[in-house]
Amino acid sequence: MSALKLVPESVENPPVTNGPKTRSARPVIQARHVDKIYANGTVALQDATLDVRQGEFISLLGPSGCGKSTLLRIMAGLGDVSAGCVKWWEQDYDVVGSKGRKLAFVFQNATLMPWARVRANVRLPLDLQKAAGEHAERRIDTALEMVGLSQFGGAYPRELSGGMQMRASIARALVTEPDLMLMDEPFGALDEMTRNKLNDDILRLWQANGWTIVFVTHSVYEAVYLSSRVVVMGARPGRIVEEIDIDEPFPRGPDFRVSQRFADYCRQVSESLEKASSMGQEAAS
Amino acid sequence: MNAPLIRNERFVQIAAPISVGLLFLLIWEIAVRATGVAPYVLPGPLTIFSALQENWLDLLNALLTTLKVTFLAFAIAVLLGVACSLLFIQSKWIEMSLFPYAILMQVTPIVAIAPLIIIWIDDTTWSLTVCAVIMAIFPVISNTTLGLRSVDPNLLNMFRMYRAGRWQQLVRLRIPGALPYFFGGLRISSGLALIGAVVAEFVAGTGGAKAGLAYMILQSSYSLQIPKMFAALMLITVTGVLLFTLMVWLSNLALRNWHESAMKTEN
Repeated sequence: MSALKLVPESVENPPVTNGPKTRSARPVIQARHVDKIYANGTVALQDATLDVRQGEFISLLGPSGCGKSTLLRIMAGLGDVSAGCVKWWEQDYDVVGSKGRKLAFVFQNATLMPWARVRANVRLPLDLQKAAGEHAERRIDTALEMVGLSQFGGAYPRELSGGMQMRASIARALVTEPDLMLMDEPFGALDEMTRNKLNDDILRLWQANGWTIVFVTHSVYEAVYLSSRVVVMGARPGRIVEEIDIDEPFPRGPDFRVSQRFADYCRQVSESLEKASSMGQEAAS
Repeated sequence: MNAPLIRNERFVQIAAPISVGLLFLLIWEIAVRATGVAPYVLPGPLTIFSALQENWLDLLNALLTTLKVTFLAFAIAVLLGVACSLLFIQSKWIEMSLFPYAILMQVTPIVAIAPLIIIWIDDTTWSLTVCAVIMAIFPVISNTTLGLRSVDPNLLNMFRMYRAGRWQQLVRLRIPGALPYFFGGLRISSGLALIGAVVAEFVAGTGGAKAGLAYMILQSSYSLQIPKMFAALMLITVTGVLLFTLMVWLSNLALRNWHESAMKTEN
């Protein structure tokens, strides 16, 4: 993968696209009929089938307990499946980490090491992969610059606001120059203004670097604003209910947030969520 | 303009307990004088202080003997305790197999086994040290093991995702994360090492050049030198407080940048 881009030049004159028309693009993740049943018998996921293709921005949207985080963790190789199978770049998990097949995970909380300064936190993946050296230092500088934390490399996580901690967490993911970003409700705990700002930042980085992103969220508005495709999930048992394409050009900005099209997409996704919810209640009764 | 001393948190932190202590000593002195209690029953603080002055050299030697055992035992307890914890976290099986024996050391009264240890080990210093180690080691094992296991599961997942080895997980994640628990263990263990050393000295009843503070107390009580006994007792308690303060200082030094226990918070 090419080196990380520091976006701004492309943001000033960003290419207007309809997002990656990715139905024919190369698959990054293929999940087939995946079940996940925990030891206590809880069915977290049932028969989930999903293709994530190169360059897509997919949101997994659904109520608590619908298995969206479980599915994301399976995609990250952090959990086994009870049935079905998952492929990464059409191969087994062992391929992850090799050139052009790097994966990064951003957790719901910033998950920084409190005893280490921001720079050391961002450097961690490189240290673990024994990729130290001058090139590594440049990558850390670039990652910090991309998330606007260049001045805060020497700070401890506790000295940062919640939003800044999340940025540091994103910088730690960026430093590995990932091809696939898996983000588990990363902005859920932030205030709306910070959240909107970070949404714009992540869209900008996604566009500039050609990543593939799978993004878990509770928020219909966030899912519609960010995604090229929204995957609606239902609970009890956790399952994929519907996939909705958000056929809207990128970059997206404040105009899109207040447009009729945005409202229409939100309505469509909300109706799908309600349908999923009522199906879950029927199943439960 | 300088803020009044009473608003200075550091000043209050030191002055408040000292004031309480001085007030207590004052009441004690007045009560002893007012009731006319004999010094061999309950000496006043001033009598104890003069006994301390008169027997300064004896008491200092005894203190050094006790401190030697205390520090030796504490160092061994820390090294051995941390080694046990590192062993325990290698697998649940190892922990399940060995942890009950660590508890055994904690619950066995040292007074009951000290005579045996003193018989088994000829060298007095080492026999006392072993007794004190048995007293002091459990908080280190228990706290450090807990700390090494209390890792943020997301951070652990991240380490696994980047294919970090066990050594990297230990050095970069588990050990730094366990430091607050470890220092908590040290605070308890340092005091127990001192108590262990004193209790073992009581049981051993070692006199002569190797006499510690416990022997001073025993000897003074037999000869009804109660002020000297109180002076020795006072040295033990002051040593205990200083040891605890030293542990708090070390803990703050190591954790001041990141852990809530050592950080100053402003509201």
